[in-house]
Amino acid sequence: MISLGWRPSLAADRSARGWLRRGQRRASLLFALSVLLVAFPAGAETTEEVPVSNRMADWMPEVHGFVSQGFMKSTDNNYLAQSERGSFEFNEVGLNFTKTLTDRFRVGMQLFMRDLGPVGNYKPQFDWFYLDYRFFDWLGIRAGRTKIPFGLYNEYNDIDAARVAVLLPQAVYPTLNRDYLLAQTGGEIYGRTPHSAIGEFEYRAYGGTIYMDASSNPAIHNLDLPYVLGGRLMWEAPVDGLRIGGTYQTLKLNADLELPPEALQQYAAAGLIPADATNPFPVQLPIWLWVASLEYSWRDLTLAAEYSQWKAKLTTEYPTLDQSVKNERMYIMASYQVVPWLATGLYYSLFFPDMADRTGVDKQQHDVAVSLRFDPIEHWLIKLEGHFMSGTAYLDPQLNNGVQPADLTRNWLYFLLKTTAYF
Amino acid sequence: MSRGTTSPRSTLHFLRRHALGCLVLTLLFISVGYAQEKPRFYVIAHPGVASNALPTRFVADAFLKKVTRFEGGGVIHPVDLPTTSKTRAIFSDQVLKRSVAAVRSYWQQRIFSGRDVPPPEVDSESQVVKYVAGQPGALGYVSDSTELRGVKLIALQ
Repeated sequence: MISLGWRPSLAADRSARGWLRRGQRRASLLFALSVLLVAFPAGAETTEEVPVSNRMADWMPEVHGFVSQGFMKSTDNNYLAQSERGSFEFNEVGLNFTKTLTDRFRVGMQLFMRDLGPVGNYKPQFDWFYLDYRFFDWLGIRAGRTKIPFGLYNEYNDIDAARVAVLLPQAVYPTLNRDYLLAQTGGEIYGRTPHSAIGEFEYRAYGGTIYMDASSNPAIHNLDLPYVLGGRLMWEAPVDGLRIGGTYQTLKLNADLELPPEALQQYAAAGLIPADATNPFPVQLPIWLWVASLEYSWRDLTLAAEYSQWKAKLTTEYPTLDQSVKNERMYIMASYQVVPWLATGLYYSLFFPDMADRTGVDKQQHDVAVSLRFDPIEHWLIKLEGHFMSGTAYLDPQLNNGVQPADLTRNWLYFLLKTTAYF
Repeated sequence: MSRGTTSPRSTLHFLRRHALGCLVLTLLFISVGYAQEKPRFYVIAHPGVASNALPTRFVADAFLKKVTRFEGGGVIHPVDLPTTSKTRAIFSDQVLKRSVAAVRSYWQQRIFSGRDVPPPEVDSESQVVKYVAGQPGALGYVSDSTELRGVKLIALQ
């Protein structure tokens, strides 16, 4: 008997997991209906000897999901949530459906909701959805909302089961920017070169737009992201487990800013804007990001390092207000699978929000993290993580009673506990 | 010193006199140990697969679904054993060059980022043989004690 775990079986399944599969079928009915017209003929081709239930299984999608609950506590400063007092506002739920329609053609989608301090608030959204046609191994196309392959791990930023750390190095993979950096809606071309003595190259190029919701910020109106373009090239060297690559991405934001009256007066008094200037201020914000990546995996040990720079240039109708900023981000990380049920991780992450000015507690963020991951059973994990933080560049004044990062505690500890069930 | 007792000095003297013999014995033990670590699995394919031998890296990429087609263009259908299987642990270590836990983590990445889904798993090695024999393009692995019928052996290069 073929057992596909949580996927439709190729033969009749009368095991104890049958009830779960029936549940999956009900849950995935909507998706199944959307692919029914295309997929059912494939099921109809099966022979008379195959039971009807198996023909049903042939066109049912694979279903996977996860549920996470976390807790965070810091000795000083609030980070991501009200962490100083301790916060449970750290959870995620995801459910995805994937269907291989032909050898070359697949469709899929994932529903996702989360709560992380002030963001998410259990608002369900399509994390990704796509149509994927692979002409050859060296050329495939995807259309829909696809995850952005920025660096080594951006696509896995919200997949707790896929890594040891609770939080990936926040310098390069900021969790709070998840909604803006995780996925884009448009198209993607991907592929990899055939095997050769010099290894293989994996390449991906994408373009589209990113959905951004600024409705919670009363100072921003008409937010629009006309384009995001990017690409990643990864060299898989002839040395087993060695990957070296780079990613480049550019995007542009347009919005109307509503400045507070006192700010308008200050700018006018300083001669930066005309005395009769009024709200709103149309602004354009092109952003360029790149990251260089290195990863080496040997048996149960994985080493990774990345270096990145992000540059943004603010332009308005008043050149005196224009400004640009370039920040610098990097980390080095190691993880080791000690035994099948225990893995450990360690990283050092460094972030300078303004490369032109690295002095001051709010102009830097050092982060040393130690992680433990326990897998007591196959579909359940528990993680413990401790961070030693020096600097306050990660911190948001809104979460810290309006206190500016320059005035927050320089050295602080941050602890996370998280458990995830997945299938 | 009485006869029959062994001092560290006499041991050293013995080793010096029989250095070559000790070296040969050591190498023998190492080689025996190495032989015990040799892969105890066969890679098997559907008889319709044209190749009799495949590069180890190609087989690894096929099981990780980094490549989906044989050189001739036929679709590859890899099939796995359960994560608790000893044969899978050996195959994973020798061919994929990573532990079963690491492979499981790899598939979590692929599943939840929408990239792909893992190969089907069957419950036993005889079912691997049955699957491979009946599915054109199938690629599997079984322990060397499994009875092979209707499949072809693939040599790893």
